[in-house]
Amino acid sequence: MIKTALLILTTSALLVGGQAVHADPARDKIIADLARAAGTTLSAQRGQAFFTGTHSGGKPDSPSCSTCHTKDMRKPGATRVGKPIDPMAVSVTRDRFTDPEKVAKWFKRNCNSVLGRECTATEQGDILTWLSSL
Amino acid sequence: MSQHSIQQPKTLVWDIAVRVFHWALVGAVLLAFVTADLFGATWLTYHIWAGASAAGLVVARLIWGVTGSTYARLASFVTGPRETLRHLRDLVTGRAPRHLGHNPLGGWMILGLIAVVLGLAASGVAQLGGIFKTGPLGFAVSYATGEQLSELHEVFANLLLILIGLHIIGALFESWRTRENLPLAMVTGKKERRNGDHQVSQAKAMPWLAALLVATALGGAIWGARQLTARPAFGAAVAVLDPTYAAECSECHQAFNPSLMTAANWVLLMQALPDHFGEDASFDDQKQKQLTDWLVQNAADTADTKASHRLRATDPATPYTLTKTRFWTSKHRDIADETFKRAPIFSRSNCSACHSDAESGQFFPPNATLPNEAK
Repeated sequence: MIKTALLILTTSALLVGGQAVHADPARDKIIADLARAAGTTLSAQRGQAFFTGTHSGGKPDSPSCSTCHTKDMRKPGATRVGKPIDPMAVSVTRDRFTDPEKVAKWFKRNCNSVLGRECTATEQGDILTWLSSL
Repeated sequence: MSQHSIQQPKTLVWDIAVRVFHWALVGAVLLAFVTADLFGATWLTYHIWAGASAAGLVVARLIWGVTGSTYARLASFVTGPRETLRHLRDLVTGRAPRHLGHNPLGGWMILGLIAVVLGLAASGVAQLGGIFKTGPLGFAVSYATGEQLSELHEVFANLLLILIGLHIIGALFESWRTRENLPLAMVTGKKERRNGDHQVSQAKAMPWLAALLVATALGGAIWGARQLTARPAFGAAVAVLDPTYAAECSECHQAFNPSLMTAANWVLLMQALPDHFGEDASFDDQKQKQLTDWLVQNAADTADTKASHRLRATDPATPYTLTKTRFWTSKHRDIADETFKRAPIFSRSNCSACHSDAESGQFFPPNATLPNEAK
């Protein structure tokens, strides 16, 4: 069911957009800004490793981004009290990473929860690049 | 059946209205007791309806007491103290006459039962208003008064149990004394007419007038109750959550009604957002101030609901963990740990998983049900 729906969504997006699968001007700008700040080429592969990897320095209950977001970005995650979190994959949640304020707020909170520090522009850019490619 | 009763002609004493009233009241009172004592708070709605029915029945009975047939009339069985004492004396000496209707003691019992049922209804409605901010007196009664009235309600309930016991003993005693099955007479309505029966003046039933009066009284009471119920509740929690508050806080969990916690504890919680139950939930300065101000303005200190009073006393070590208050733990002591962890509850803090009115801060017991396990 979900797979079929995804297929239809992806196909229609391709037909309409005719270029990058999940292009969105607001999101493209956020990623471009991060790339500029990072001063390096962003990598989806690095983003995936960082997102699904286990970290230390953060809060004991959340050692990884995947603690709440799971490792399947097309499936919903859950907050620590069980409230569902929309899937992170842009192909599933179309308006992901289109509001710069929201992106900044959650990177600040969640990097602190997982790593005990803010994430660098490279780390943020890598993650968004990965999630936008899904 | 004794030989005696075959020979004597039977006459209708308790008309159909009296009999229906009697057994309907038995049913309503029984339901009220069962729902209060055995089934617990989630059955409160049925308890309220049982109590309201009992009160309505009693009001109708009082009206029938001035419009009904001979033995239904209050005038046929309500006697002064002198006559009551004489009856008591005659009972002791074995000379008391037989009454076709209620004897003087029975008459006082009827009035006592009626008065206590009305007292139960009044204290119940007032308690409902004070504690749960609902019903006709939700606009008028404070939580503290509601709690006091709940004790009065209990006193009345115990009194009613005692009166019912005495009423049954009295009926059985009189059945033995006059050799006649009185409980059965309350079913068939018929009793023997005997020589030497105490005489009462005959009255003609006025069923149409009675129906009109009962309809007016009960209709008026229902109309009035609805008018009063519609008034804003006394000390109600804030009804509409601030949209920013609702949006921000419900990203991770339900948006708690601010009336569940004191202003001082909300300030502590907001200050500690960078480590909010093991997560960073911090805001920028502008939003931090906006949300704190709104919470303080609508905190428990400004409300008079049960939850605002009972959850207020948090443990100083965990000043904003409502699930660690004594009130919370005692209310949820029968619910297993695994139940809280399973879908769709997931967490003790997820009030609205079971309390459908959690967001309003009301927590009316009948609005609580353990949800079925989700797949």
